[in-house]
Amino acid sequence: MQKIIKKLHWLDFLVLGCVIAFFYYVLTQMSGNLNYNWRWDKIPNYIFKYHTGREEWFANVLLQGLIVTIRVSIYASILALVLGVILGVARCSHNLIVRMLARTYLEFLRNIPPLVVIFIFYFFLAEQLIQAMNIESWSYKVAKLENNQIWEFFCGDMRRFPSLVSGVIVLALFESAFVGEIVRAGIQSIDRGQREAARSIGMTQFQEMRYIVLPQAMRKIMPPMANQFITLIKDSSIISLISVQELTYKTQELVSSTHMIFEAWLTTAMFYFVICFGLSLLFGKLERDKR
Amino acid sequence: MNITRRLIGGVFAAALASISFSQVTFAGTAQQLGAESVIETIKKRGVIKIGLDLFVPWSMRDTNGDLVGFEPDVGRKLAADMGVEVEFIPTKWAGIIPALVAGKFDVIISGMTVTPQRNLTVNFSEPYAFSGLTILANTAMTEGMTLEDYNSEDITFTCRRGATPCVFIQNKFPKAELLMFDEDGASTQEVLNGNAHATMASEPGPSQDARRNPETLNVPFDQAFDAGGEGFAMRKSDPDALAYFNSWIRRHNHTGWLKTTHNYWFRGDAWHDQVE
Repeated sequence: MQKIIKKLHWLDFLVLGCVIAFFYYVLTQMSGNLNYNWRWDKIPNYIFKYHTGREEWFANVLLQGLIVTIRVSIYASILALVLGVILGVARCSHNLIVRMLARTYLEFLRNIPPLVVIFIFYFFLAEQLIQAMNIESWSYKVAKLENNQIWEFFCGDMRRFPSLVSGVIVLALFESAFVGEIVRAGIQSIDRGQREAARSIGMTQFQEMRYIVLPQAMRKIMPPMANQFITLIKDSSIISLISVQELTYKTQELVSSTHMIFEAWLTTAMFYFVICFGLSLLFGKLERDKR
Repeated sequence: MNITRRLIGGVFAAALASISFSQVTFAGTAQQLGAESVIETIKKRGVIKIGLDLFVPWSMRDTNGDLVGFEPDVGRKLAADMGVEVEFIPTKWAGIIPALVAGKFDVIISGMTVTPQRNLTVNFSEPYAFSGLTILANTAMTEGMTLEDYNSEDITFTCRRGATPCVFIQNKFPKAELLMFDEDGASTQEVLNGNAHATMASEPGPSQDARRNPETLNVPFDQAFDAGGEGFAMRKSDPDALAYFNSWIRRHNHTGWLKTTHNYWFRGDAWHDQVE
């Protein structure tokens, strides 16, 4: 602490003072204009609570939402990684049509607001897929099984499974465009000579990708990919629009029921921050260890 | 060479698009052709799926995170009478009708007011509840105003997007400015903060908010507007479902169950400590 204070210049203190004064001003202004009855004491109950009916501790709405958010984010990022790699490779393909299709998909996603993309994917793609594959009746069957703990652990309430699937699909399709761009940049960063060398020793196109280009590219794209994963967690709040019961949706429910607008949203913001910031510290450390 | 390649690519893309489109329309006609009543589907599945959104006290989360309120009671009773299990599917209000049409659930029981516009897209049962809209106003900003005074450029209203009050305010107070929010908490908060003069919602919401903030808010007029009645909403072209739900509502109007339950949630305050 002493060391830090000694390091600071008097100008630093001035800047710090200004920042504190600014927040103090905002806070006093707010308490003057904001007619609000803060009820922070109620919030912990909505995270973790002793159920008065079932007589046991259980995860209440906010924590339930957080768990769904984590689940959706993990599955969606795996799917986005797979699709993204395919897309990235397709973007560097020798075949013009493949390249054009990949480019069309990418430009379509990059130039339309996420909200619209989510609706398009939801109604025209995820829904059709769920109907075609009969996922709904299947998940109801699983929900009725006695031994479905494994399913419940990975997918939550099986009755909600179709909405989980559509959430994952929609989010993964949306993020895959950006993952694809990262992969493409990684592939193109590999020196041309490497690829030519691979071809000259008789490797096929696939072998060249598999053994020469992708292993080197993967190392380069890890940091931006980790970053994209964190973005995906934040973006997952968008799928509350299609009524997937994740953290943002659950918060809205809580606000509707109790009118605790600010407490609920600030708590939710804190959840997102803790997860995303925690992950970015973790990825940073992993990256440094690797070097 | 290049041009032919591009042409082939274009044809290929067009073919792909037409295939995916034809499948979409095919799914639509298949649904129409298999015009099996949703009642049969519910019996076969053993579960009735009810779409709802949270409005106090129609339906809300209690402190245990469970759904309570008038609608969950109605839904559970309906399911018990049908001999099936009940499943509630919370859905955003703005997208609840498209979700019903897309088949996400069998029926909407969520205090949905019967309006001619909505009726173009879905069918409604007979009303099972009647709740009028009232005005919730910021006391200091609207002191001594008559109902006519609210129809002026200086007045700002708030409402919940997609809900009946929005349409009502636009018709009744066309000159006033209207701000729309995604849920009731935010629209009430704007009135509390003095950024809007008044909001409208169905009773007892406004009275409750006025009781909670007696210095700032009040319900200036006893009159309740637009008591059109709320009905179950279901997909069109399903006369069996319409008949079944209508008979169910008629029956429980006779037994008095609907009235008692309605009074418990809308007139009394006995449930209040369950929720907050």
